[in-house]
Amino acid sequence: MDKKLISEFESLLGKDRVLSETEELLCYSYDATSKDFMPEVVVFPLNAEEISKIVKLCLKYNNTPIVGRGSGSGFSGGSLPLKGGVVVSFTKMNRILELDEENMFVTVEPGIINADLKSYLSEKGYFYPPDPASYEFSTIGGNVAECSGGPSAVKYGVTKDYVAALEVITGEGEIMHTGSKTVKNVSGYNLTQLFAGSEGTLGLFSKITLKILSKPKEKSLILASYDDINKGFKAAISLLKLRNRPSMLEFMDKFSIESVKSIFKSDIIKITGKFLFIIEADGYKEEVEKSIGEYKKILEEFSPVFLFASEKSEDKKVIMDARKAISPSLRKYGDLKINNDIAVPINKIPEMLAFLEETSKKYGIPVINFGHFGDGNIHVNIMLDKSNAEMSEKGGKAKYDVLKKAVELGGSLSGEHGIGLEKKEFMKLKYDAYYMNLLKNIKKVFDPQNIINPGKIF
Amino acid sequence: MKEKNATYVNCVHCGKCLPACPSYNIGFNEFLSPRGRVRIVLTDYADSLPLRAGKVRESMSSCLLCGRCEKVCPNDVNIVELIINEKIKLEDFAKKDFSSDKLALNILKNKREILLKTALKIANIPFVKKLSGRNSPLPEGKSFIGSRDLIFNADAAAAQSPSGNRPALRAPLLERRGVAGEDSDTSSEKPPSPLLKKETGAIREHSDASLENQRTLALKNERGVDDGKNIFKAGYFGGCVFNAVYPQISMDTVTSLTKNGVEVFVPKMQGCCGLPFISSGDLKSFKELAVNNALSFKGKKLDYIVTSCASCSYSINKLYPEYFNENEENYTEIMDFSKKLISIWSFFNEFKKHGFEIKKGKLDNETEAVFHIPCHLSNMPDFKPDSTNKKLIGEPGLIADKIEGLKLKPLKYNYCCGNGGMFNVRHYDLSKKITKRKFKEIKEAAPQEILTSCSGCMFSLKDQSGILKHSQTIPVSHLISIYTHSLQGEK
Repeated sequence: MDKKLISEFESLLGKDRVLSETEELLCYSYDATSKDFMPEVVVFPLNAEEISKIVKLCLKYNNTPIVGRGSGSGFSGGSLPLKGGVVVSFTKMNRILELDEENMFVTVEPGIINADLKSYLSEKGYFYPPDPASYEFSTIGGNVAECSGGPSAVKYGVTKDYVAALEVITGEGEIMHTGSKTVKNVSGYNLTQLFAGSEGTLGLFSKITLKILSKPKEKSLILASYDDINKGFKAAISLLKLRNRPSMLEFMDKFSIESVKSIFKSDIIKITGKFLFIIEADGYKEEVEKSIGEYKKILEEFSPVFLFASEKSEDKKVIMDARKAISPSLRKYGDLKINNDIAVPINKIPEMLAFLEETSKKYGIPVINFGHFGDGNIHVNIMLDKSNAEMSEKGGKAKYDVLKKAVELGGSLSGEHGIGLEKKEFMKLKYDAYYMNLLKNIKKVFDPQNIINPGKIF
Repeated sequence: MKEKNATYVNCVHCGKCLPACPSYNIGFNEFLSPRGRVRIVLTDYADSLPLRAGKVRESMSSCLLCGRCEKVCPNDVNIVELIINEKIKLEDFAKKDFSSDKLALNILKNKREILLKTALKIANIPFVKKLSGRNSPLPEGKSFIGSRDLIFNADAAAAQSPSGNRPALRAPLLERRGVAGEDSDTSSEKPPSPLLKKETGAIREHSDASLENQRTLALKNERGVDDGKNIFKAGYFGGCVFNAVYPQISMDTVTSLTKNGVEVFVPKMQGCCGLPFISSGDLKSFKELAVNNALSFKGKKLDYIVTSCASCSYSINKLYPEYFNENEENYTEIMDFSKKLISIWSFFNEFKKHGFEIKKGKLDNETEAVFHIPCHLSNMPDFKPDSTNKKLIGEPGLIADKIEGLKLKPLKYNYCCGNGGMFNVRHYDLSKKITKRKFKEIKEAAPQEILTSCSGCMFSLKDQSGILKHSQTIPVSHLISIYTHSLQGEK
């Protein structure tokens, strides 16, 4: 990298907002995947104008690549500086700019942590539903870039369903505005939703306007487990057909249950069974009581081996902590994890799970599954031993088989993590050359020099 | 590093530790974050990149050792230990150049309280303060521990007269010790103290205190062994700050015990717990101090050794066992001492569990306060939060429950105060930024008083200049002081 670019950054932002020493860059070389790439400089802008100038400087200096980064907690390598260059850290841009209570929208800077926004809104009686497992530490900017979803998607949808307007800096350094604070908006192409889930490849966000809801007054949980997957599946499908469908319908297989058993240390929650559902109802008190009663009745019809209901917030915390801890705690099954987040149509879940069990047997490696039953999003974790090359090869093959099957079943390669680096070679399973070329051309329109997060998706 | 602790390989860089870390929250720079530090240390171990000691030190020394990252880590990575070990490796302390933190450490190690006090007093002279741009705590009175071991008799009569209007028992100890701002000779105006000092030789020994099992001693069964008196014995570990800078807190802690019928022994030989040293990478001094402290309580057959400083608890309970090996000299003494040391809050919890009643006190004026939970206290043992105060602040809530007129208000986030021991000395400006963040939640709660139970937290919380206007300054006290004063019917 041209040293002059670094000094230009320093005069633009001040020395304390530019990092260029090896030891500092090292701390921006990774995310939650197991890949790493060293950036050449890290910058901390505070507003759209600064970001625009950063992009223009990159164009001036040999089209230096730029990658946006929030908390670096992604699972697909979206924030990794694959080709070196500049990491734009949004962590200092973490303010809430406006709470529009009349129209029910909130405008934030991209670096705000999802949980901080949630707790701010909650105090005022509002609710921003998207809740990726990382919501306590991932940023809204990253959530929008990856179109994150979480357990609440079954009732409330995912990030893109809440993004109403964006301020974006394109690959040409232009500041553009999309969307509006209206639910209805048909005027030209829907660029807002194009950016949501674009994995940081079309531009850098500087302002995000999100739709908010009023907060549900009460929440209540049921745990139910089954020994027979098909019975469990039928029970869950019945719940989804209800007018008052659950606000969460998560499932865990027996390995996931095992891996977080210690977190369920409470005496009341002694899990048995092979297939566990975590089900939540929300709404007004009477509504929740009614729903829980109805859910219980349905679940019982399919002879669960374990059923536990609780309104206590302590129990809910234990249960949700356990749910969130699954992914990181799988290490005990292997020190290298191939983490897939396929999504299949809900009625194909049993077929997919049966295939996953077969795959595990076929290659002789642990495949651990959990995820969001209500939206067909399954986290398929292929657990490997880092030092075992033969196993890694098998893992790669297993991953291919799994993704292929998901596509065959009419599903998606990634429900919420994105393609990034992790799955780009598999895009051809789903899309033909014409489609891929279309995607590339769309990127070219926003980023003619291919400097914004190059090397991702395709 | 002990191999069993090589948990750093379990780090999956998920980022969950970032929002928990006080140093990361200063400027959201990952170079000053747990995940960043783990990566740096890992790279150093693997020797996969040429790293410069100066930069590595910069990242490590900005860690406050608060342990908040470990609490949220889903993979149980021993981040703090990893950082401490890196500091030791860097031999931070071995640097030849002069620095104010090295001077402070030297003073602490050699127990030169007079020097420490003089240094702090000099640091408080207005022009020095201006020159250095930092505020230092001002020593409040003479050191608690002097040239002799101290014994404080259990106050058997206190049960009948909690207000303290008992026949005057002039304690020679109190004659020697003035309280800040008071001339010790005029202390006769104070309510007569029930405290008595005896010579070392007069220590009575427990008949059946087994070393292996001190924590679970059936204290109740021991009642009556001392000539029919219901007394059990605690040692008191002051720590450097509560001995030399805020000696009244030591006195208050001891008084809270004696008023509840506990006999207290204070060996003169004890010194600094060693935390400032190990946090500077000086393992040798840390271990010397640990051995000194352990030996000073050796063979005294105490039921518990109590400390009212959360950082001392952390150092002695958590770090001592990590840095001594079985085959080392004094290993048994270190482990005995470490096992027996307990925070004042845990002590009262145990005290209650064994069927003793904790005395109630009353404040003259109702006071609304917040309790700042020290980071090193936040890893409290299993504790049932069966009262509002306990729900708010955990174990110290037990004592807060006993103070009539004390109304605790919640703090929204329980942020770190920014002290972090030597962090405050080395990175005063960063430390102040964290303190400022802390005061946002304190201001929201608008308390009349800030309570806590750690010497480091007291330093930072008292340093309110530049954060609050002088006229808005909020007093900071140790909760045990408030409790003790409430027992005396005064505040």
